[in-house]
Amino acid sequence: MKVLVVAERKGKDLRRVTLELAAKANELGDASVVEVSGLEHHSALPAVSALAARVKADTPDLILTGATPNGRDVGARLAARLGWAYAADCTAVAADGGALSVERPMYAGKIRARLRVATPAVLSIRPGAFTLPANAPPPPVASLPADSASEKLTFLKHEPTASSGKRVSLAEARVVVSGGRGLKGPENWHLVEELADALGAAVGASRAVTDAGWRPNEEQVGQTGKTVTPDLYVALGISGAIQHLAGMTSSKVIVAVNKDPDADIFKIADYGVVGDVFEFVPAFTEAVKKAKASS
Amino acid sequence: MKILIPLKQVPDSTVRVKVAPDGKTIAVEGITWSISPYDEYAIEMALERKDADPSTSVSVVTVGPARARDALRQALAMGCDDATLVLAEQPLPGLAIARALAKVVQDAKPDLVLCGKQASDDDQGSVGPALAEVLGWPHVSMLTKLVPADGGVELWREVEGGHDVWQATFPVLGTTHKSEKEPRYPSLPGIMKAKKKEIPERAVASLGVDLDAPAPEILALETPPARGGGKVLKDGDMKAVATQLATLLRDEAKVL
Repeated sequence: MKVLVVAERKGKDLRRVTLELAAKANELGDASVVEVSGLEHHSALPAVSALAARVKADTPDLILTGATPNGRDVGARLAARLGWAYAADCTAVAADGGALSVERPMYAGKIRARLRVATPAVLSIRPGAFTLPANAPPPPVASLPADSASEKLTFLKHEPTASSGKRVSLAEARVVVSGGRGLKGPENWHLVEELADALGAAVGASRAVTDAGWRPNEEQVGQTGKTVTPDLYVALGISGAIQHLAGMTSSKVIVAVNKDPDADIFKIADYGVVGDVFEFVPAFTEAVKKAKASS
Repeated sequence: MKILIPLKQVPDSTVRVKVAPDGKTIAVEGITWSISPYDEYAIEMALERKDADPSTSVSVVTVGPARARDALRQALAMGCDDATLVLAEQPLPGLAIARALAKVVQDAKPDLVLCGKQASDDDQGSVGPALAEVLGWPHVSMLTKLVPADGGVELWREVEGGHDVWQATFPVLGTTHKSEKEPRYPSLPGIMKAKKKEIPERAVASLGVDLDAPAPEILALETPPARGGGKVLKDGDMKAVATQLATLLRDEAKVL
């Protein structure tokens, strides 16, 4: 099977999901990785037009993109351009004769679907769904110039969010620390951030927190925010509304800290701490630093 | 500005979804149906424009079964001007839905089409970009804000670390991630007015579009295995619990 991977970069480096896709593509067959170049800011049309031309020349059976906002944007439109089948946010892919056997979540993760997808097809793949082999060499990436003639939009500006910094991206982070209403106010967020720094984690928030304006919307984890699948998810002062659980329940290990022993978050936590976040979190941050130093 | 919003009726997000006995669909008995949350954001975003400029018109359309009429009625009660039901009793591939919607768009000639970024049932997110593709329009996904601009609109796209702001001339399509305000509840006068409105119906087969398109075939739906049986730490002082937890995460869970 000929597989074309659409690469994504964050800053200078390839995104981890691109490495995961390249490794999977090698497993499925004859893999090539292309990166659309010349777009300082993602735009669907010039990327899709360039990729469609490459597909005509290379005739792959399968195109893989990351299920990131940009990867899903390109994947959906490219599939429509080519008239191919498309499945989004896939968590498992295997060759099955001439077709593909695919798994993907539906209903915000409340249901898992097993699909048969005939090739040719476009799939977007959830970051973290495929394990990255240790010491996997970075794949060779071919540069594909964007088709700028097809652009119909004008880029005006990038408007940064005040609080955003150098942290890892939430959707791809291997560790996420999220805060909820139990933190009592934005002035206490340093507790979340200090623990996140100790763990090398991205910072998330519950919807109650982003709705209250304590944290920017882009940090919201849950049904109408981001879905995350880290190795470790730490929920601080989050009660565990069904919409929040939908966004983080496939994390490998879940830690919950809440003073209410009946909070729903404890039903899905691997490790639950019933206690006061203001007392526990500073102590835990120190304990994490020590545990990491002595490992 | 003339805005058209394709929406989808889905099980309400509070519903505990169960798999039907056929193993391939969900059990629909007793389900509360709602407008998909991202479509509600699209409606709110459009109605905020209408609040600011009453010459704005906001239309809604859905491709779906007869029960989807209730979702259209809900959108009218929120303040949308008119609604169209494209009747399709059976589920259709995303690309077929995009082609059907494209026909409605070509007839209605809106300046701006706003879709939710994905429907909260299949979570595919394919119809918006596919509709733009069928129409040959540009699109911008992940919108949280739109601002009228000379001869067009500014589209604010949420990206890591902030927003990319794009200027578009009409016509253009956007997919909505969030609105600035929470979607409004229908007012009582809004509900009364919506009850009296006609919702014209067109059979999807009468649109003259190709409804045959490749799509994934569902073999089985499953409920993911329940989590639980975790360890609860609550005794002793928090310093000791913190040390115990850090050690468990390092030595037992191996995630530190």
